[in-house]
Amino acid sequence: MSDKKSLISKPRLRDIAFFFGPLIAFYAVFYLFSTGFLIFTSFQKISISLRKGTFIGWRNFELLLTDPNFINAVTNNLVFAAVSIIAGLTLGFVIAVALSTGRRGKTLLYAVFLLPTLMPLALIASVFRVLLESRFGGLNELLRSVGLEQMAMQWLIDPPLAYGVVVVLFINMIGLPIMYYTANLSAINTSVLEAAVMDGARTGRIMREILFPLMRGTHRTIILSTILMSFRAFDIVFFSTQGGPAGTTEITGTYVYRFSTSGTNVGYGSAAALVVMVVALLIAALQLFWTRKRS
Amino acid sequence: MSKNNDFLYRRPVEKAVMAGFLVILALVWSVPLVAAVVRGFAFNGWQNFSDVIFNDIGGISLIRTYFNSFVIALLHGFFVALVASLAGYGFAFFEFRGKEVAYFIVLVFLAVPATSILVPLFFITRELGLRDNYLAVALPEAALTLPFGVLLIRNYAEDIPRSLVEAAAMDGASNQRIYLEVFLPMCRPAIVNIIALSMMWSMQDFLFPSLFFSSKEMTTAAQAVLRFREYLGSTPDDIGRYNASLVLLAVPALLIVLFGLRFITSGLTAGGVKE
Repeated sequence: MSDKKSLISKPRLRDIAFFFGPLIAFYAVFYLFSTGFLIFTSFQKISISLRKGTFIGWRNFELLLTDPNFINAVTNNLVFAAVSIIAGLTLGFVIAVALSTGRRGKTLLYAVFLLPTLMPLALIASVFRVLLESRFGGLNELLRSVGLEQMAMQWLIDPPLAYGVVVVLFINMIGLPIMYYTANLSAINTSVLEAAVMDGARTGRIMREILFPLMRGTHRTIILSTILMSFRAFDIVFFSTQGGPAGTTEITGTYVYRFSTSGTNVGYGSAAALVVMVVALLIAALQLFWTRKRS
Repeated sequence: MSKNNDFLYRRPVEKAVMAGFLVILALVWSVPLVAAVVRGFAFNGWQNFSDVIFNDIGGISLIRTYFNSFVIALLHGFFVALVASLAGYGFAFFEFRGKEVAYFIVLVFLAVPATSILVPLFFITRELGLRDNYLAVALPEAALTLPFGVLLIRNYAEDIPRSLVEAAAMDGASNQRIYLEVFLPMCRPAIVNIIALSMMWSMQDFLFPSLFFSSKEMTTAAQAVLRFREYLGSTPDDIGRYNASLVLLAVPALLIVLFGLRFITSGLTAGGVKE
């Protein structure tokens, strides 16, 4: 038996090269080289031409970690992630449970809730932007046409309102939690639920006291993947408020983008990119560690 | 989606409350979409849509952006399917020291945000002379999707009956032949899932095209969202056309999401990680 197995499981070097070579090539260029290059440039003052930089030691990192705008971007990142998590665990959970009944038209409803998450974020955020523009935006025109002119606001210019707009956009992206809950709801053992229904428990109570605790693993998956997503949510902010007004809605993605693509010193952008990447990798390692232990 | 939890709501009141809740929320969720479509007709009606379809906007043809987006999506899907299925085979069937550590390292990179590797990508793209080449976008996209792809394919491959693979090996088939004739056909569902996901993620990608394509010929649909805004800026007349262009730019992504919804959801939930 062991002899048979070894036929495929003991690979020759040629096989290793054949099956892992392409992956290693991709990782070598896009992760290994890239990280090295980031480290290299993060200690320099270097222009976007990436030629003739001067080494300046830890200066970029010192500037970065004392820049209130960077701290603000990190804080916003966490706030927006927290908003998404809360929306996912409450609203997303209830929507998924409601959708799990065999009602007609549920596929259509499912698609409606999923679309904002699956469509290009640039597009969704742009649609919000044109809807909320103060002069010709749809919302303000509607308010004016029904005589509520005093309610027509500078949605994207007034800092607290702009912040609210981004929060709403993050809540709009609720598709992933719904997807996860839906998948797991169809996998749970229904006999517990049936017994509870027989005992006369109401739907709200069943959700709170039986279904929600049952989904513990799913909650964790959602929390961690939502945090990771918030590091990639560049488009949401870039296309709705561009991080403005005056940096109010900046997140790590837009901050790193700004300093990596313009200015006289992309070394500073590299330092910011590196810090954000390390944090994201640590969160991913945590997630992998937890899911591994569970299975 | 398949299972029916109808017994949860046997009381008519609860049924009505749940249905009302869902419908109202769904209406709220549809507001931006409906608004964009309605505003697309502003001032000139259908004219707005035909204008943006048949006339170039700032030298960019809308139809051309569809083509560019699809080419990149296909290349992205192809690279990920090929590289991840090869590595998935290795991780599922080979035994070697440090395999699980290597696998962990491969997976952890699924966290890398695209914005974090822009500076090195500028350098790589320039040195390889890939500017305004589809590969300048498709290759880094594939690199970012690969960790998830390997996870998806290996998870699926672990469920392939070993006896099938071993029987083929007993008959003297090489690993390459087993990969082609046994593994690929058996992993088809996972491969379809990862291709659908790759194509969807390509459609979502604004960053890479906007940084590595400068030629108007190469503009993708997601990238055009910004370019069109620059040309159809502020006059009320143009707002109708800009909204019309947003609706039309959604078409390629919408096609992939609607036709691939089943593969996209099962791919994402099977992976259990990534955005």
